[in-house]
Amino acid sequence: MTRHRTSRSSTSPRTDEPVIQVRGVAKTYPVPGGEFPALGGVDISVDAGELTAVVGRSGSGKTTLLNLLAGIDRPTAGEIWVAGTAVHEVPETKLAAWRGRAVGLVFQFFQLLPTLTVAENVMLPMDFCGTVAARRRRPLALELLDRVGIAEHADKVPAELSGGQQQRAAIARALANDPPVLLADEPTGNLDSATAGSVLELFRELAHGGKAVVMVTHERDLSGYADRLVTLADGRVVEDVVVST
Amino acid sequence: MRPRTVKMWRDLSAARGRVALMILAIAVAMSGVGALLIARTVIVREAAAAYAGTNPASATLEVQGGVDAALLAQVRTRPGVTDAAARQTVLTRVRVGDQWRRMLLFVIAPDDPMRVAKLRLKSGAWPPADGELLIERTAEPVLDAAAGDRLAVAGPSGATTEVRVSGTVYDAALAPAAQESTGYGYLTPAGLARLGFTASADELRIVTPERDEASVEATATAVAAWLTAQGRQVRLIQAPPYQHPHHSQSETITGMFLAFAVAALILAGVLVAATLGGMLAAQTRQIGIMKTVGATTGQLLRVYLGAVAVIAATATVLAVGPALLAGYGLTGLVAEMLNVEIANRVTPWWVPASYLAAGLAIPLAVALVPLVRAARITVRTALDEHGAGTGVGSRRSDRWLTRLRGGRLSTLALRNLLRNRGRLVLTLALLAAGGAMFTSGLNSSAAWRSWVDDGMARRAYDAQLRLASSAPVDTITGAVNAVDGVVAAEPFVSLVATPATADGRIEVQRTYPDDGHGRFLLAALPVPTRMVDFDVTAGRWLGAGDIDGVVLNQSAVSRLGDPRVGDDVYLAVDGVVGRWRLVGTVAEAGGPATAYTSPQSVSRFVEPGTANMLHIITVGDTATVAGQVEAALDSAGVVVGESMLTEDLRTAIDEHVAIFIGTLLALATLMAAVGVLGLAATMSITVTQRTREYGVMQAIGARPATIRRMVVLEGTLTGLLGSLVAIALGVPLSALVGELLGRISFGLPLPLHLAPGGLVAWLVLSVAAAAVATLVAARRAARLTVRETLSYQ
Repeated sequence: MTRHRTSRSSTSPRTDEPVIQVRGVAKTYPVPGGEFPALGGVDISVDAGELTAVVGRSGSGKTTLLNLLAGIDRPTAGEIWVAGTAVHEVPETKLAAWRGRAVGLVFQFFQLLPTLTVAENVMLPMDFCGTVAARRRRPLALELLDRVGIAEHADKVPAELSGGQQQRAAIARALANDPPVLLADEPTGNLDSATAGSVLELFRELAHGGKAVVMVTHERDLSGYADRLVTLADGRVVEDVVVST
Repeated sequence: MRPRTVKMWRDLSAARGRVALMILAIAVAMSGVGALLIARTVIVREAAAAYAGTNPASATLEVQGGVDAALLAQVRTRPGVTDAAARQTVLTRVRVGDQWRRMLLFVIAPDDPMRVAKLRLKSGAWPPADGELLIERTAEPVLDAAAGDRLAVAGPSGATTEVRVSGTVYDAALAPAAQESTGYGYLTPAGLARLGFTASADELRIVTPERDEASVEATATAVAAWLTAQGRQVRLIQAPPYQHPHHSQSETITGMFLAFAVAALILAGVLVAATLGGMLAAQTRQIGIMKTVGATTGQLLRVYLGAVAVIAATATVLAVGPALLAGYGLTGLVAEMLNVEIANRVTPWWVPASYLAAGLAIPLAVALVPLVRAARITVRTALDEHGAGTGVGSRRSDRWLTRLRGGRLSTLALRNLLRNRGRLVLTLALLAAGGAMFTSGLNSSAAWRSWVDDGMARRAYDAQLRLASSAPVDTITGAVNAVDGVVAAEPFVSLVATPATADGRIEVQRTYPDDGHGRFLLAALPVPTRMVDFDVTAGRWLGAGDIDGVVLNQSAVSRLGDPRVGDDVYLAVDGVVGRWRLVGTVAEAGGPATAYTSPQSVSRFVEPGTANMLHIITVGDTATVAGQVEAALDSAGVVVGESMLTEDLRTAIDEHVAIFIGTLLALATLMAAVGVLGLAATMSITVTQRTREYGVMQAIGARPATIRRMVVLEGTLTGLLGSLVAIALGVPLSALVGELLGRISFGLPLPLHLAPGGLVAWLVLSVAAAAVATLVAARRAARLTVRETLSYQ
């Protein structure tokens, strides 16, 4: 069973407010023929503890939305608040440090650094952000790897792991600095269906553990995993439904 | 260890081939930088210390009749004089085997306190007995004699007297004996008298507290005036610069070489930048990922700068050994060339400090641009990066690439070569800079040889003889023409002159005590002469009507303040000032500053119809004929004081710069090595970045051998292009190096001379090196399976 949901609006987000608020966001890209509108007038809010799936066809604006939430791209218009920060106002020089603490990113192709072991990959965000004391980093990384079920592979390099194991390692890395938000771009796109199911289950656990998880995917068959389904088409939200499980 | 540091080390380890190339390139350049820093510092300091250690005279006054003990004591009390000595120098000859050698005898009284122009005794004792002399240590091979041997030294009549070598001394104020083709002997006035010469300490050597030119001249002139007031005639004043005769040349040339070595280091830095740029391009996505997990631009920049620092530091440390070996080796060779004994090999603190600073700072500074560019890339751009093919065809200028036609393989190789123009330019710049320096080194060396060859060819005479005293020209000609083997003979007059001014003021001479360096001569050759045919650089050579005309060689032009053709020049001989009209200037390889004039114009200084020098053209063995000429002259009552074969002059000229030419060639090779390493590194990057593309090609049917040939062809084309640019750039660079080298050596720029062998060598070397460098990468590319290449990220 699904029910439609409307976005909330507020002028000043508070801590009990949604973790993610997107207000009237538009994004256009310059192209030889003029400007291409990737997103237009998008309003979305995501609460903590919610696994939101953003779905749509290729070119619908899913990845653009995710990039805007992660501060990878800047909106042409509108506001983006993530974990109490006005992302659209954060200067470029501060974005990386903010992102490292506030957002965990998971990619379709895992994007683990090939020359580092799995544990070292997980320790890397802690190192860059200085969030965890040096002596605590490895125990914490092992703890996270244990949580995602691949602790025994901690000292292997990514190439030695299967696709599913690599994606779990990437999720552990995204959790390294305990960010309130997890953003995943086609996290199952490179996995077989059984493995994809286990990864989605993991995302759901994390969401229900208190994280705000936004997952972009072109697959609509996410029943049993997503709490909410936001459908984008031509850069606009065409449907926003809460999924009852 | 921090994960980011671990990543840096593992990245370096994963690219160890390229890292090794970068380390090698920097190490090669740093070996040169270190070697020249050491050599230049130690040589300049030790040469100055050794020269100053002799406490050379600030000025030497030639006093008619000599200086006795009483007069010397008075001179020591004159204002501005801190010490003084009375000495004598006699130029004669010594018989070595069946040849004569030039010999300078330095006469020092036994009771001389040896505080001025000091010698260091190496063996034997001072003073030598009457029948003995000491020789300068570098004169041993010239005289083919050592302590205990006997020398046949010519007296004023030409007759020889046997003198025993009782020991050796070190005289740091003299250039090496071999370079001057002169033996140096030290003996007492009694020993000199035993040879038949009149002992007369006519050289008054004074030491002044201040060594600057103005102070020395003021004091020397005041002492000369005082001596004149005492009724003593001062024939001339010599005040050479307070530095070793070859100091300026050594300092300038080692400075130029150091600049070459630093250029090689910058080149190596560019290589590092290019290689790192390529490596970072392959890591763009990783940079994006690191930024998504919190890495700031500053943190990434520090990681990559750390990598460069590790490479640079490793290379700098590795180069310490070769730099020390080459540096002290070069120091030894240059010290030998300057006749300097190295007393202290320790370099001052700033030498290792500069070495380390250069080794770290230059590669870091050059690599900073690509590193900053890579670290500043936005996450979005980094994540959008899809490999080497991205962007090709997006520029309007790319369209012409598709118009390139040829064979299938050559078209592909050519298009590949031109698709990444930035890297191609960098690779060509590396190859071209290395090659330009290589070819300019060879060109300069060839220009040097060509200039000396040409200079020697312009001297038609095979031997030059100096007579002990002037003799009638007819007597000389009559005696010489009777000798078989003499094709032509021209007696002439050569006088020691001093630049003077229009108001009759005679300038202080800059001649060193060896009577060679800094000398100024006035030579009256027959007009016309068939003995010399110097290259006229302005005006013309002397004509029959040029009674008071003068032609100056480049050194004389410089000494007289660059007069123009038509100007009057003033020279003094034995205190008499004469005026000449400058009719032309010539370029002369070797030889001192000389003013050439007509025999008539020197009649005021020497008896008309006499000569004190002789040029001869011979057939057969010149040395033998010269010996017969001497004998014939002796029979005619004309004593020969010195005989110099033109081929010996050539040896002397070559001796002066042999090490510098060798060093220039070594540096040229070093540059070439860095350039070739640069090509190897960039080709390796190119191949790595196209790994996926090769996979696609194999998937659609290309055989490994085809890919290998295509890559090698691309590298070879790069090598060919680079060598052509290098050859073109080498021309102006050769002119620049030739200008500097020529001015230091001869006072004139070396003419531009292109060494065809060098150009061909560079062409072959760079193309072959390019082929070999790319073959390694090509074989690796061809060995990969389709699956491996297509899965390459």
